[in-house]
Amino acid sequence: MTLEGPRADLPSSEDPAILDREFLIQIAGSAVAVGLLVALAAWAKIAKPLPPLSDARARTLLSEEFPGKPLEHLWVANDGRGALARSGASALVLCEVGDGYVARHIPWAQALAASFRDGVLKLDLSDISAPNARLAFDIWPPVGAGAPKDVA
Amino acid sequence: MLEAPFDVVTLAVPFFVLAVILEIALGRLRRAEVNYETRDTLASLGMGLGRNVFGVLTAGVAFGAAVWAYQHRVFTVPFAAWWGWVAIFFLEDLTYYWFHRLSHERRFWWAAHVNHHSSQHYNLSTALRQTWTGGLSGTWLLWLPLAWLGFSPAQIAIQQGISLVYQFWIHTEAIGRMPAWFEAVFNTPSHHRVHHARNPRYLDRNYAGILIIWDKLFGTFQPELDEEKCRYGIVKNLGDFNILRVAFHEWVGIGKDLMTARSPRDVLGYLFGPPGWSPDGSRETSATLRAQWEAAQGPKGRPTR
Repeated sequence: MTLEGPRADLPSSEDPAILDREFLIQIAGSAVAVGLLVALAAWAKIAKPLPPLSDARARTLLSEEFPGKPLEHLWVANDGRGALARSGASALVLCEVGDGYVARHIPWAQALAASFRDGVLKLDLSDISAPNARLAFDIWPPVGAGAPKDVA
Repeated sequence: MLEAPFDVVTLAVPFFVLAVILEIALGRLRRAEVNYETRDTLASLGMGLGRNVFGVLTAGVAFGAAVWAYQHRVFTVPFAAWWGWVAIFFLEDLTYYWFHRLSHERRFWWAAHVNHHSSQHYNLSTALRQTWTGGLSGTWLLWLPLAWLGFSPAQIAIQQGISLVYQFWIHTEAIGRMPAWFEAVFNTPSHHRVHHARNPRYLDRNYAGILIIWDKLFGTFQPELDEEKCRYGIVKNLGDFNILRVAFHEWVGIGKDLMTARSPRDVLGYLFGPPGWSPDGSRETSATLRAQWEAAQGPKGRPTR
């Protein structure tokens, strides 16, 4: 749904000063309405329920995001807010955002070489729409994942 | 008449606000399937608010072009003629269908439209998640033939407003399905849920504005299936709720891709190919995603028309 075309967003009055004032009043009124509606949405607490990821749930979500890609290994984050799986030469990344998830795939070698400090793996997703992801793990690379040179 | 005597959308703003309040109340009272996430709501409504500001930048150009086309019209459709309103109802809706299809199937225009689809929610606030760059992308040119045919810019603007207001109410999960006769002819919450879904089966379907008949006519109709719940958002969902990312991420993506283009073919492909196009085919378009999904599903999973 988008409004395009020759619709005149131009106010009907001829006086520019009145145009500016009417426009500013309209914008200010709209901003107040936006604030009230956002506050109402926050108060209502009706976001989608998002329990910590289980192994099964992570597999389901990844299979929806990457149909047909087999999961060789799966690691669910300690806090259940994301997961990472290996599928061949790819790392499939699942990360909680709000009450939903974002998924990307990156080269497995890139995932192995990602920064890991204080129990947080920081993955560069190289994507302007989701630049990075953070996943909480005890160790990284995980046991059995293979060193970077194994998959280079 | 060149300038519309009233703005349908402005008149409808109180209705928009009350409808959102009602939908949230239904969700709070658990009377309907309604979900609102606070930051997502702020992003959606912020886009709607910002659209009013950005729209001013190009509205004058679009309006001036419509007036110019009208001055060179081949017929004159009287503003007060009933048949003129019937004609523009169908012609504007047909124009909207092709505008909307173009906005999904070609990356340059998808960059302006993607923000409307980038919420993982489907509620009335999503309806107000409007583009900031639609005017700059020039899609308003598609409506100029109506002025050239003889419909006044005012009449076109009013019908566009009616279409936009109509499309507001269908952005909800609170309404299941309308009566069968209505579903057969009109765009409905059910049909439009499919349009906003990112399930491979549902990608690039149901482009309708008011009448769903265009999708049935041009082969893009997909009914909502009880066995496949809609998953909303875009193929590559956004990593946060930053409103600037919502508004401009695809434009930035195009810019970065153009920097790596090595031939005119690459440039054209990155600009006007389907979203997800890449020179070596390593990225995913709607077509490849659907093909992957079909391969994974087997014959049973093939799209239902």
